[in-house]
Amino acid sequence: MALLAERTAAARADAEMSAASLVRHTMIQTHRLLLRWARNPVTLLETLIIPCLLLIMLETVIGGQIRKFTGGSALYGSVPMVTLVGALSGAVAGGVLLGRERDAGLLARFWVLPVHRASGLASRILAEGCRIFAGTLAIILVGYLLGFRFHQGVLATLVFLLIPVLFGLAFATVVTAVAVFTAKATLVEAITILTSLMMFFSTGFVPLAAYPQWIQPIVRNQPMSVAVDAMKALALEGPLARPLTLTLLWSLAAITLFAIPATIGYRRASRR
Amino acid sequence: MTAGTWLTDVRATPLRAQQWWVLTTRLIVPSVKTGEVLASILAPAAFTASFYIPLKTVMTFAGTGFSSYAQFMMPIVVLQAAAFTAISAAFRAATDSVAGLNRRFGSMPVGPLVPVAARMSGNIFRLAIALVTAIICGHVIGFRFRLDTVHTIGFLLLAMLIGVALMLGADVIGTVSRSPEATTQALVLPPLIFGMLSTGLAPAHQFPAWVQPFVRNQPVSQFAIGLRALAGDTLGNAGQVTLALMGPPLAWAIGILALCIPLTIRLSSRRA
Repeated sequence: MALLAERTAAARADAEMSAASLVRHTMIQTHRLLLRWARNPVTLLETLIIPCLLLIMLETVIGGQIRKFTGGSALYGSVPMVTLVGALSGAVAGGVLLGRERDAGLLARFWVLPVHRASGLASRILAEGCRIFAGTLAIILVGYLLGFRFHQGVLATLVFLLIPVLFGLAFATVVTAVAVFTAKATLVEAITILTSLMMFFSTGFVPLAAYPQWIQPIVRNQPMSVAVDAMKALALEGPLARPLTLTLLWSLAAITLFAIPATIGYRRASRR
Repeated sequence: MTAGTWLTDVRATPLRAQQWWVLTTRLIVPSVKTGEVLASILAPAAFTASFYIPLKTVMTFAGTGFSSYAQFMMPIVVLQAAAFTAISAAFRAATDSVAGLNRRFGSMPVGPLVPVAARMSGNIFRLAIALVTAIICGHVIGFRFRLDTVHTIGFLLLAMLIGVALMLGADVIGTVSRSPEATTQALVLPPLIFGMLSTGLAPAHQFPAWVQPFVRNQPVSQFAIGLRALAGDTLGNAGQVTLALMGPPLAWAIGILALCIPLTIRLSSRRA
């Protein structure tokens, strides 16, 4: 009898901790999150509609002025910037959703059920990546209608599409790490202010030359600007090595620094 | 003495002034203690920096007809401060509504309009802080009142009137919606669209032809024109303070109030 109990316990432990179940559980949970997002009008609005409207508005309001100022189309700055803004604003929504599922006790429920421990976090990362990718495609479609084109071939285009995903995931890691240790309302406001500032002081909003001398070094090297510059180089032309290296550096640094606090935070949230 | 006698024949009479004061301090004191009131200072400052620094060169490149870009864009900073206050007003109204506080007050001997009057007092307190901050920020970037004291007071009064109209509208929306997060997210978009597609950041003739009729005639542009005329400019292109120029902005503000006051009275006097 004792032997039997031991064996079933071992079998159960094996079942919920094996690599195969990690893949299966992650898929199920990713599916769950994507369904939940797709059926929530507010998230759809944030992911798809607001960035597209923002792009159309930027083109309408300052596109013409920038064309006079630089002689080139403003779209090659604004399309990348808006995809990144969409990726960031989605991260905020994801953080809020995480907080809500924690308060509802859903995370704790998963923790006590035979679900692979890592699948919760892994599924969030996957779902977030899918969402950012879909948002990026929608924005590029709107940009295409306005006159945005890829001039650098297929490989460059693929890298272009992956930059917002990497950038958004890095940001989501930071948000998850911070979300668990702070109150909800102030967090959302603070992040919104931070993302707006990043947007306004990036080379995607207006060309670098339009900023005053004293702020140019900051504008030039902040994460969003280097990502915009890299994407611009991948779509149109320009130096690629420096901005792409800096983009990878910023993103990977954020992920390595905040991954452990985010994991610890997720565990803490699951055990409430 | 029958079994059903009351201990007193005097009905509870609401002391409205005192109740209003208690409910107002309930809104103001915590926000000062937690430092939440700092948001009313930071938001206009962040807004001024993020529109003035990047856009100054690009916008003056094409010309605005004003002595400085600061003088031209000051009204939009003021209006944005008012819009920010309105969004937080909606958030508060929705919070009170969803928490059942309005129903609680409805069942107590509280004057029907006391809760909404207290909410508005708290909002006006925040609006005043935001407006003062906006004007200080404007002074830093080079905005000056170029006309006499009467016009300056008119500027402040018009700004307050617009702010109160927006806040009352937001209060109604928040009370009806009963969802703090959804309200806040839904209200982010209108200020963005109306603010960017207005003559607040660029003169109407710099917009594409198809959008110009909307840009010229929408309320934010009219508010901006009215405020600009009251502030004046050394080059004399700010417009004269005449009934023809001040009519539309005043009509918009008073129109919003005329629509929202009856709604507010209905919502407040409805005993749930």
